Amino acid sequence: MSRLQHVIPSGIVALVGLWVAYISYTAQPAEAFLFPRLISTVFVVLSLWTFGKACLGWSRVGQGLSREMLVNLVPGLLVALVYIFWAARTVGFYTSTTVAFFILLSLYDPAPHSEVRSWIRRIIITAGFMAVMYGLFAQLLRVYTPREVFF
Amino acid sequence: MEFIGYFGAVFEPAAFGLLLVGTIGGLILGATPGLSPTMAVALLIPFTFQLAPAHGLILLGAAYTSTVAGGAVSAILLKIPGAPANIATTLDGHEMAKQGRGAEALQLSFLASAVGGVFGVLLLIFLTPVLARWALAFGPSHLFWLAILGVTVIGSLDSRSVVKGLLSGCIGLWLATIGFDDIMGAQRFIFHPALGGGINIIAALIGLFAIPQVLNMFAKGRQPLGGEVIKVQPHSLGASMRELFRRPRALSIGTMTGSIIGLIPGVGGQIAGLVAYDQARKFSSERDKFGTGHSEGVIAAESANNAMVGPSLVPLLTLSIPGSPTAAVLLGGLLIHGIFPGPDLFNNYPDVAWTFINSMLIGQILMCIFGLYIAGLAARVAQVPQSVMAAVVLGLAVFGSYSVQSSMGDVYVMAALGVMMFFLERFGFSAAPLVLGLILGPIAEANFIQGSMIANATDGLAVYFFSGTLNIVLIATVVLSIVYSAWMEIRTRRFIEKQEAMA
Amino acid sequence: MRKLLAGAAMALMAVTGAASAQGYPDRPIMMMVSYGAGGATDFQARIVTMTAGNEDALGMPIAIINKPGAGGRVGWNWFATQAEADGYTLAAYNVPHFIAQSIKGGVQYSADSFEPIANWGADPAVFVVAADSPFNSMADVVAYAKENPGKLTFSGAGLFVGHHIAALQIEKAAGVKMSYIPTKGGGAAAMKAVIAGDVMAGVNNLSDAFRAREAGSIKILGVADLERSSFLPDVPTMKEQGLDVDNSSVNYRGIMVPKGTPQAVIDKLAEKVPEMFRNKRVQSKMKAGGSPILVMNRDEVKAMWAARQKTLEKLLAGL
Repeated sequence: MSRLQHVIPSGIVALVGLWVAYISYTAQPAEAFLFPRLISTVFVVLSLWTFGKACLGWSRVGQGLSREMLVNLVPGLLVALVYIFWAARTVGFYTSTTVAFFILLSLYDPAPHSEVRSWIRRIIITAGFMAVMYGLFAQLLRVYTPREVFF
Repeated sequence: MEFIGYFGAVFEPAAFGLLLVGTIGGLILGATPGLSPTMAVALLIPFTFQLAPAHGLILLGAAYTSTVAGGAVSAILLKIPGAPANIATTLDGHEMAKQGRGAEALQLSFLASAVGGVFGVLLLIFLTPVLARWALAFGPSHLFWLAILGVTVIGSLDSRSVVKGLLSGCIGLWLATIGFDDIMGAQRFIFHPALGGGINIIAALIGLFAIPQVLNMFAKGRQPLGGEVIKVQPHSLGASMRELFRRPRALSIGTMTGSIIGLIPGVGGQIAGLVAYDQARKFSSERDKFGTGHSEGVIAAESANNAMVGPSLVPLLTLSIPGSPTAAVLLGGLLIHGIFPGPDLFNNYPDVAWTFINSMLIGQILMCIFGLYIAGLAARVAQVPQSVMAAVVLGLAVFGSYSVQSSMGDVYVMAALGVMMFFLERFGFSAAPLVLGLILGPIAEANFIQGSMIANATDGLAVYFFSGTLNIVLIATVVLSIVYSAWMEIRTRRFIEKQEAMA
Repeated sequence: MRKLLAGAAMALMAVTGAASAQGYPDRPIMMMVSYGAGGATDFQARIVTMTAGNEDALGMPIAIINKPGAGGRVGWNWFATQAEADGYTLAAYNVPHFIAQSIKGGVQYSADSFEPIANWGADPAVFVVAADSPFNSMADVVAYAKENPGKLTFSGAGLFVGHHIAALQIEKAAGVKMSYIPTKGGGAAAMKAVIAGDVMAGVNNLSDAFRAREAGSIKILGVADLERSSFLPDVPTMKEQGLDVDNSSVNYRGIMVPKGTPQAVIDKLAEKVPEMFRNKRVQSKMKAGGSPILVMNRDEVKAMWAARQKTLEKLLAGL
């Protein structure tokens, strides 16, 4: 794996560490930041060490990222983020979960898209999962979830 | 031996029915990410309004017992710890599941839970007065050192890179300081309104463990049928029992550590499993196998988890102090029936108190039976294609993190932490030490501040934190733990270098 | 654009507000408690709302949601800034806690951010010591504190909560300096510190202290209220022991809604909720749990809030 791949994340971690340390040593009231100061000092030392190791190409653990992985990941990640950060609140929990569940299933299910059977299977799985969730949590335990549209 | 006389009450039809409902319900709730034992018990409280005191407590006691054990199901099969108590179970349990040994891991975890659990309840029955004194012995300075002892575990929790393990722990410690500082009430690092309430530990737990799982499944893409299924090979119960008793060391370390740490008010439940896991590894003759799907890891973690259940109620039943959030909820369950826990509890309400404790004892065994049944079912359930699994886990993660305190903010935090953890994990950082930091940070900080306030008013910092037998024992354990880890690190490094030189 | 839409929505709500209050409530109501599950406030909130679903009360159940953290600040901040003012989101208040915190600053709420509905309980602060402590009265405590300024440690559930107010008042009245140790984890943790001997004394809730005394682990030296409590008829008030401490620190618990809730909804709640608190089953469960009851209607609570605001501003001015 390329050295650059290690340099970027450890660099970001080191920057976060420096930012945390800066705030810890400047923010008021000072007594509330006593513990953050302690942590951030260790944080900065360790993150700079890791960053240094990465720059020198000594980092060995971790598999890193490959182009193929990212290509596979992006559509699912986008659907998941839209679902979590927008749909769950605006459309309602059960509705958005149903839609997101079905889209993700269709994206990653290996069964051929051209066959009607695979679509029916996907619909059945989605309906089954949602029925269990709804029955157990909404009906039996009455756990509160955002509801906007339908149910 | 007074308690034996009250066993009859547990086996009355109504009581036993509730015990069954509580146990099965508890296993299901416990297996759901986000519904921690505390939440599950709180959800059941309204049902107990209608019941007789003893019956209400049977339901709550059974639910408490089995939610703790139920957390192992999602920890092993999905790598999502249902509650902080199950973090250690994921380390070896999920590795075993990946190798197709999910049924074995589940069987081991339920058997170990039952052994630990029964031991813990027996301690509660026979040694309550002695244990109560123990529980009170831990003041702020001791809790501070105990938290530091937990921090030293961080470095050795991730065997691949000590520096990155410690750095992950540091990130966790920092994340724990976000939000309002609990004592002063000052705002710290609130750079987004969703963080106003701090980072909820359960939501963080779900995000850090579940989301990387989901993204990893996405990253594999549309895999052909067959190659993507997590297989669970059936495993005979007898073999699991033999395996359990072949590992007496892990089992006894887990049970003892869980019982002792579970006793300490405010700290116990969350770190018992991790400390037991770490100790079991240090004393094991096969310590290199830990983290690769080793049965001792599961046994130690799960026996510790359930051993803690009994002792965690000692401060409540004897001193009327709830030692853990779950105990606090149980206190509510007692109070609505006008029952005040305290040393007189067993004289004033022996039928209620003993029936409750007996139901926890029977509950441990019922939990084990139903748990083993689930382990058998898991062989079929877990043959779910990854695409379905990813979608299910994502849905449960959103549901679980929302339901903790009905807040979308927690869901955003969960998702943000999860995506961050996915990328960090690709570069050798790991989630377990980060979560441990998140748990221990507030304990260490609050006790340090409290301790130093008391110290400043009395003898001074040095005397307060460094004198007294308990302090010295704890400090010595911390030092030994660090020295031991460092020594092991040097030894394994030499070993690896030698191997590399040979290759 | 967004603002415009929000404005339009607000206008629409104002028009429909009166009409919708007719059918209020037509779905379950949520009540936020800013302390953890199992704490005294949470426990009492669950009891007083348990009959909400009855026809003679609100006719809809009330679900409790906990948002604990930083002595209640987390929950009340959320309530003041993010909760919807539609009558379906209620919260439990603790006075003097939230008023003291708003005076101290650093939070996004004040007494003006909320509309009180009704009060269900009043839990005075009491001064406690471990059962084996040499102190037997407040005079002993004051005498020790005079001889050893700043050496007497005593616990309480955080800064700028009822316990802290009581602590400040006691110190001021006796003219001594003591070390107040705020604990994390509420009254239970503060009580544990007293019983375990981590601190020499403590301020705690009357209801919790009553239970701990029954268990034989503490002594209660004084009540920070105007009159003795019916739970503890043998314990004298601070005033009786020569300390000029009034009822400013008494922990009043009740229900409130965010500012901006339709007036019709507030009126309906203000009419029904005190009745709900007076329900016989509620009263008997509260008594069984050792929780002192004090039902006050909306106007009485408004007056009480205003009075606290004044006394606390004066008390906290020097800090």
